[in-house]
Amino acid sequence: MSRLPWWMGGILMAALLLMTFSIFGADRPLGASTYVPYAAGMIFGLDPDKYTYLKDIKAPGSWEGVMLLGALLGGFVTSVFITKSFRFSVIPTGWKKYKNNSVLSRLLWSFVAGFVMIIGARMAGGCTSGHFMSGMTQMAISSMIFGTVVMIALVVTGKFFYNTKDK
Amino acid sequence: MDIIVKTAGDDLPSRVAQMFENVIHQGHGSLVLVFLIGIMFGGIIQYTRVDKFEKIAGFAMLKDTIVPKMLFLTVGLASIGLYFMVEAGWAHYHIKPVIWQGLIIGGTLFGISMAIFGKCPGTGPVSIAEGRIDVLIGAIGGLFGGLVFTLYYNDFFKGLMGASAGKLTLPHFFPGHEHLVVLIFGIVVTIIAILIPKVEMFDEADLSKLPDDMRPDRQ
Repeated sequence: MSRLPWWMGGILMAALLLMTFSIFGADRPLGASTYVPYAAGMIFGLDPDKYTYLKDIKAPGSWEGVMLLGALLGGFVTSVFITKSFRFSVIPTGWKKYKNNSVLSRLLWSFVAGFVMIIGARMAGGCTSGHFMSGMTQMAISSMIFGTVVMIALVVTGKFFYNTKDK
Repeated sequence: MDIIVKTAGDDLPSRVAQMFENVIHQGHGSLVLVFLIGIMFGGIIQYTRVDKFEKIAGFAMLKDTIVPKMLFLTVGLASIGLYFMVEAGWAHYHIKPVIWQGLIIGGTLFGISMAIFGKCPGTGPVSIAEGRIDVLIGAIGGLFGGLVFTLYYNDFFKGLMGASAGKLTLPHFFPGHEHLVVLIFGIVVTIIAILIPKVEMFDEADLSKLPDDMRPDRQ
């Protein structure tokens, strides 16, 4: 099988989530956005005594940093050997179809969206993994608010940003 | 584990070494386990292809529903499992606080950028690993976002996010009926996952290297 069906993905992701939560595993939720400011602190050499946010995120940031190194390897190996989807590319097919064919446009929007995305995730205290997946699994009200707001903003943006009519 | 690494420097290699050291000493799984969790996380995302632009931005255009179906199923199944694991003492809850302004402003920014980028912080690295240059550029944008947030956290963002209204969960509102609430929540979310109509946007470029009988769009 070269693609896993969504239900198999859901079952496996639930199992991975429970393993991560369990005291026999990592005894913490699965998250994936705290590592970004942590990495920014490392790369730009910021002093944690001056920028106290770095102290707040020292433990989760480093945990997610190592986890995401694993995700890079897992994603790479799977894309080369199983899904055969590894190839260098700049513009996604869907962008060409519903937006434009401009490399500059895609790269600029990616940069801006990446920038805004991390500010948004850190303001809300989590992302799709930390809030939607891990948070909703704990039935946290904060994650349900986040999930609802994100879904609305996502679909409204999708409607106005892309040309989806007659295609 | 009793590994002690002397990593006192301020340069980048020392800071990277400090990252590994932090993980070893924080008691949330061994370094190998955390790395393995990452491998499985990346593997599942890549194998189901939910990191694709066509899946995430496709959902924003309502032309692909694999991401919400998989997310809801994960939450539905894991919420019931986690509750009983917590009851048995095998896991703990780690609830994020309700910070209204942070959640609403942050969630709005996140949703808008997720629709445009077609990635999120967990799926982004998986896409970079399959050779997506645009996502790498987006990740560099994200690093600057993380830099700005860190630099102005105390002066600006902390105030904008507002105060915490507490770490609330759904069962808190139904004292005495926690078991029932959890079961209903888990089952309802699982049913939602199944009921969301399955719509898929296929990407020829993504499937072209597969033999005909392996292509999900021709089955």
